[in-house]
Amino acid sequence: MKTLEYDVLVVGGGIAGGEAALNLANIGYKVLIVEKELSIGGKMILLSKVFPTLDCAACITTPKVSEIQRHPNITVFTGAEPRKITKKGEHDFEAVVFQKPRYVDVAACTGCQLCEEACPVSVTDEYQFGLIGRKAAFIPFSIASPRAAAIDIDNCILCGACERACPPDCIDFTQTEEEFLVKIKSVVVATGFQLFDPLKIPRYGYGQYKNVITSMQMERELAPTRPFNTILRPGDGKMPDNIAYVLCTGSRDKSVGNPICSQVCCMYSIKQAQLLMGALPMADITIYYLHIRAFGKGFNEFYAQAQEMGVEFIKGKVGKISEKENGNLILRYEDIEAGVVKEAEHDMVVLSVGILPNRGIDEVFDNEKLKLDPFHFVDQSDILASPAKTSIDGVFVAGTATGPMDIPDSILSGGSASAETTSYLRRRN
Amino acid sequence: MKKKIGVYVCHCGGNISDYVDVERVRKAVENEEGVFLAKTTMFACADSNQKEMVNDIKEQQLDGVVVASCSPKLHLLTFRAVAERAGLNKYNYVHANIREQVSWAHSDNKEGATEKAIKIVEAAIARVRHAESLDPIKVKSTNAVAVIGAGVAGMRAAIELAEAGSDVYLIEREFFVGGRVAQWDNLFISKESGKELVTRLYDEVMKHKHVTLLTGAEVVENKGSIGNFELKVKVTPRHFKLQCNPGELQKAIDVCPVVVPDEFNFNITNRKAIYHNYPSEYPQLPAIDIKNCTRCGECEKVCTAVDFSQKTEYRNIKVGSILLATGFDPYEPKKGEFGYGEIDNVVTLPQFKRIVHYSKDKLMYKGKEIKNIAYIYCVGSRQVDGDNKYCSRYCCTATIHAAIDVKKRFKNVHNFHFNRGIRTYGKQEILYDESSILGDIYLQSFEHDPPVVEKVGNETIVKIKDILTKDKEIEVAADLVVLVTGMTPRKDNAIGNLLKIPKGRDKFFNEIHMKLRPVETVINGVTIAGASQGPKNIMESMNSALSAATKSFSIVASGELALEPVIAEVDEKTCEWCGKCDEACPYSAFSKVEKDGKFIAKVNPAICKGCGMCLPVCPVNALNIIGMTDEDVEDMIDALIPNA
Repeated sequence: MKTLEYDVLVVGGGIAGGEAALNLANIGYKVLIVEKELSIGGKMILLSKVFPTLDCAACITTPKVSEIQRHPNITVFTGAEPRKITKKGEHDFEAVVFQKPRYVDVAACTGCQLCEEACPVSVTDEYQFGLIGRKAAFIPFSIASPRAAAIDIDNCILCGACERACPPDCIDFTQTEEEFLVKIKSVVVATGFQLFDPLKIPRYGYGQYKNVITSMQMERELAPTRPFNTILRPGDGKMPDNIAYVLCTGSRDKSVGNPICSQVCCMYSIKQAQLLMGALPMADITIYYLHIRAFGKGFNEFYAQAQEMGVEFIKGKVGKISEKENGNLILRYEDIEAGVVKEAEHDMVVLSVGILPNRGIDEVFDNEKLKLDPFHFVDQSDILASPAKTSIDGVFVAGTATGPMDIPDSILSGGSASAETTSYLRRRN
Repeated sequence: MKKKIGVYVCHCGGNISDYVDVERVRKAVENEEGVFLAKTTMFACADSNQKEMVNDIKEQQLDGVVVASCSPKLHLLTFRAVAERAGLNKYNYVHANIREQVSWAHSDNKEGATEKAIKIVEAAIARVRHAESLDPIKVKSTNAVAVIGAGVAGMRAAIELAEAGSDVYLIEREFFVGGRVAQWDNLFISKESGKELVTRLYDEVMKHKHVTLLTGAEVVENKGSIGNFELKVKVTPRHFKLQCNPGELQKAIDVCPVVVPDEFNFNITNRKAIYHNYPSEYPQLPAIDIKNCTRCGECEKVCTAVDFSQKTEYRNIKVGSILLATGFDPYEPKKGEFGYGEIDNVVTLPQFKRIVHYSKDKLMYKGKEIKNIAYIYCVGSRQVDGDNKYCSRYCCTATIHAAIDVKKRFKNVHNFHFNRGIRTYGKQEILYDESSILGDIYLQSFEHDPPVVEKVGNETIVKIKDILTKDKEIEVAADLVVLVTGMTPRKDNAIGNLLKIPKGRDKFFNEIHMKLRPVETVINGVTIAGASQGPKNIMESMNSALSAATKSFSIVASGELALEPVIAEVDEKTCEWCGKCDEACPYSAFSKVEKDGKFIAKVNPAICKGCGMCLPVCPVNALNIIGMTDEDVEDMIDALIPNA
């Protein structure tokens, strides 16, 4: 096992972890970012435009990830996870980090994509959230960082076509899982969130009706690196002209075990509605909601703007979705204002799925307990005075690992975690 | 003149290329004078393309670079850094904006957009042709920060800065620290009270010998700029000596004949001219409200600590950065707004919190027991007619938290929430759930049809057309009506005006970019934290305070700052001080100096942002922007309009 030494281990290379790492690196600390995906940039790098300013997400994320990758004080491991973190004393942690083999020499790969062309295996593309396929030899997505190929070994048939096609000869099937012993003085947990899986609500028909998609899939359809270069409904490739949003899918819903509000779905749905009105000027957009939570700076104004643009807001909970023969969908909902149950037809339905914690980080901590809150997010032990503190002194938390939050709040939370880490590291003297 | 210019035209993943034919743009400029290579790229800002640019500059020995992409606000610095990494002085880079100025603006006219993009890139090439290498202006920085406002955000930032190793001046206008949170009592999510949180932070502040706390203090003048702000702080005396006998103090308060409304309790109680907010307030030393004091001298007779000889003092301090944590004012309803100021049992949420604080066994207001409480939400927020279009973020949760609190503490309390859609975002949702389980009644209306408060006989009636029950007209007779007032920007914006901090549409201080630079302002060296930037709850204020502290620390910690050299310069021979440049400058970068027997204008390079506002007003053409000369601009215009 190789032994490495850094000042801080940042678990998760999304925007919160990235912000914390950059702040720490800029004042001279050596930082290791361990990211489980093949690219850093988290969920944000995959988004289209972001509310309420409608900045393009890629334009904000790509220079940040680029700065992280080339920072002399930051080392990035992608496809890697800590399996055990032990606190041996104050300012003395040991982490066992595993890195999965990518079967590609990242330093040598030029990202030419010839391996992709050569590969005969097609599978579902997880970075396009299942909208299209990819090869087993693939570049995760066009603005991935590192922008290097990877071999999906679970689906690879070991035909060797990619090896033969690769000009710099960087495909290497002899790679094996690597294990590192990392000595650090402090840890920042920035493990982010996962999206609610709407298969858990069968009455909405996700997975069964092709024109019911998740908001993340719509996000991909709207993104600059979008798969279809236009907005299509997956069932038959028709351009939709009557789209419904079902808010609170998997949030504020005890029946699926998630009683809390996900804090971002109202706003991202309103944003998508505005973008759709630009992309499909003739389309009608209806948002079914319980309460619109437009609370942040510029949010309420953004909500008002969507109303003025003609987005229809219906206060009511959708109970059930069924499919017609032509692929259109019938939404049965309670119209709260009218006080009756109604039905409406749409040709595409977007489920605004909520935010759930990424599980398992607490189990990584070996001898001291990383406390979680009742919703399995990382517990903030002094939430009002020191929001980044956790139950373990020297372990700090940033971003959505603490609970749902939007991008500006995640970035501020990353700044907060780096400030607390700096104080902790200085306390040594 | 450049001979090896590299031009990169960005698709921006469709943001540009959907409307502009980028390949045509590339072809149109590849044979321009001085252009050595011209390429298109999917994302110019992506890491892979940045690497390619660095290689091109190094291998092809490019002497000038143009990237045609988005607004320079987003990526000018990104590509300057690319040039720098490749060993090319970064001022040989020129940015062409063909997204905000072209593709987004002319999405209805692809042909015209492409033509305009070509012109804009040609103009950028014309400018880069005689770009010159420049060196940044070096400024020494003082390792000290002024934190303005000793509420919880300011105190937290001060602690962090002191721990990181900076000297901190914590400047509070009031005589007591803790800001709005000191007035708030029970807080949501932790079991702590506002007082306890303030006490904890105050103790921590006082432990740090690097923090100088100034109360009754205001910044009245600033002469410097980033790295070296020279602030004049006016410190008003408390008229009390440091050592004070508690028994004597109480006698002094008792004998004081002046009775005024107590602002700390939002005027629901009175106080004397000698006051402290609450017995354990901080600093633990009372103050004399000299504006209302009649100088009768009674207090002096019974308390030896009273000292009327104390004078207003001025302190000059030097800091490298200023962190503004000046907080907010609660919205003050207009007279008659939901009966406020006219019906005697209509109060605001902050007043209600104080009423709860002072109630012992029974919830009492004006001698009457309170049972039915009507809360009217969004007062002063999400206004249809008024200016405050924003949501104040904290109030839904704060109100529900307060309602649960009174329901648990007092018998027979019934809560009626007249809301506009409850916004208990995130984990705060559990409070809403809890309150519903406890039996609180929620009634809702839309913006344009708010509830009405009326006095009918002896009763105060709140009426609503409730959209949750099919627009049924519902009336509640309330013992107390609580107006859930939002946050508004500070009425007294003296410090904002002094430092020229820009405000957003909501009139709170504005950051440079919500996501890229969320705690910085366009005024170099000034950061913002907490509710001064917009409504926030305590946790959110803390995160922003800690982020702002990190940013301010990075400004002062290095000891030396490298500032932008693209600034105005004065031709000393031609200039005959007339002051027009000084009037035109939005940042006050000019000063009048005497040189060789005449007065001329002098530019402070640390303040000037090179905006160019001064150039056209100079009657003798004595001003220039370094790196953006008249010749540069004329060449750009010629490229844009070749036949003019």
